[in-house]
Amino acid sequence: MSGAGRIGAGALAAAAAGPAIAALVPPGVLLSLLVQACIYAILALSVGVLARQNGMVSFGHAAMFGAGAYLAGIGLGAPGQLPAEVALLLAVLAVTAVCFGLGLIVVRVHGIAFAMLTLALGQACFEAANKARGVTGGADGLTVALPREIFGLPAATFQRAEGMFLIAWLAMVALAALAALLARSRFGLLTEAIRENEERARFLGYGTVLPRAAVFALSGGIAAAGGVLYVLYNGFVSPETVHWSVSGSALIMALLGGTRTAWGPLAGAAVYFLLREQLVEVTERWLGLLGILLVLVMVFLPDGLSGLPRRLRRPRGAEA
Amino acid sequence: MSAPALSARGLARHYGGVAALRGVDLDLAPGEIRGLIGPNGAGKSTLVDVLSGRAPGSAGSVRLFGQDITGLGPAARRHAGLARSFQRTSIFPALPVGAQLELAARRVGATDAPRLLEELDLARLAAVPAQETAYGDQRRLDLALALVGPPRVLLLDEPAAGLTAEESLALADRLRELARARGVTVLLVEHDMEVVFRICERITVLELGAILAEGTPQEIRRHPEVVRAYLGSAAA
Repeated sequence: MSGAGRIGAGALAAAAAGPAIAALVPPGVLLSLLVQACIYAILALSVGVLARQNGMVSFGHAAMFGAGAYLAGIGLGAPGQLPAEVALLLAVLAVTAVCFGLGLIVVRVHGIAFAMLTLALGQACFEAANKARGVTGGADGLTVALPREIFGLPAATFQRAEGMFLIAWLAMVALAALAALLARSRFGLLTEAIRENEERARFLGYGTVLPRAAVFALSGGIAAAGGVLYVLYNGFVSPETVHWSVSGSALIMALLGGTRTAWGPLAGAAVYFLLREQLVEVTERWLGLLGILLVLVMVFLPDGLSGLPRRLRRPRGAEA
Repeated sequence: MSAPALSARGLARHYGGVAALRGVDLDLAPGEIRGLIGPNGAGKSTLVDVLSGRAPGSAGSVRLFGQDITGLGPAARRHAGLARSFQRTSIFPALPVGAQLELAARRVGATDAPRLLEELDLARLAAVPAQETAYGDQRRLDLALALVGPPRVLLLDEPAAGLTAEESLALADRLRELARARGVTVLLVEHDMEVVFRICERITVLELGAILAEGTPQEIRRHPEVVRAYLGSAAA
């Protein structure tokens, strides 16, 4: 089976697992937690795509996530202006387009400087969401009333965990499959080559800024899609959604799961949410325990949890 | 008379107050393999960097088969037909060897990647990530990335660096065959004089950023200034 065929088959199997999980988990706190995990897994996926294809670490992806949520919320709150479906799609496309323009500038910066730049841009968006009360509702946030139907589904489907879990699960699987196909495409090979050795890529005749900006835009678009799902489920978005700590959590999820595969950040998000739920019961200092886990994973599994199967397949001492 | 394959006029490059290149003129005839030698700090790598667009020149011009490429960046120069390799192995460590050649070939619309893999004894490693191959394989991959196309002019910055004497001579022979078969003009920077004298038709000697001498290998071996500045009495 070809690589694309394997990805397609894997995505179909994963999509089919969604209804099975929904049937096994009773409606309640756990299912609601799984909805959140799926939505934040999409944010983690966006961070993972940027790390894998561009080799860049972002501390500002909550800004794209939040922008998607705010734009969708604003679009949905303008009755009679746009069909809800168009407003949601436009929210994602607008964030993608802005990220492309921004990417043409920021991808020229590398390493720690890029991470700090995204942190600064993310916090600028946080401040903007706080200050622009007329548009965002300021610190009080923006409450969004959904129309009666979206994509032919009753609005209640999006705001109940039973319905939203399936929607978020399918969106997550589809976006992860898209990321996996991208990595296997010619364009994916080019961006990986640029990640590995940008100067050599230039000397092979490739421009390196446009492909990196395109990856940045795609990554932003995926984050925005997560934000759209977030606002559909919660009917509310506040500046806290844009805060750098959300970007930090998404980065932790991506690193925990590993960025070498598309499914790594998704696994990281699942572990993060399930562990958090357990650790919160044990201690208030659950973040410290999570930090220790992250350190252990980075030391013993530098490729994250998704690197474990590859490590087990490799004969002992092969890394030496 | 046809234009030189590569022509530099008055190339200069300053690092602060230090002149790394001081008005270098250079003409490479189409199809020739030219050696570029000189002591450390003579400006050889700087000259290759300025010719290839890696570093801007402070003055002077570069022409490729008569086309002025002075203001072009590395990618545009590659499209014009100028390729280069680097002193330190410059490949894509995590990518499979074959995929790297395909990537290089695709950009210039070439179809010779599979043949080049065979000719440089890399076909057996096509599916292996470059970082898992031996150093000698990586050096040949580096050469293959520059040779794919083929380019019209190839600048090689110490392609034999780090190889054993036997590997260096084998690489030199292979390079000469490939360049001749493809009609590629080569400028070869190399410290291994056996390699240079073995495959170069003419040699240019740089010292302190300026050309000290130019001639056939025999002329260069006997050139008193070159012997004094670089080769030493044993070469004569």
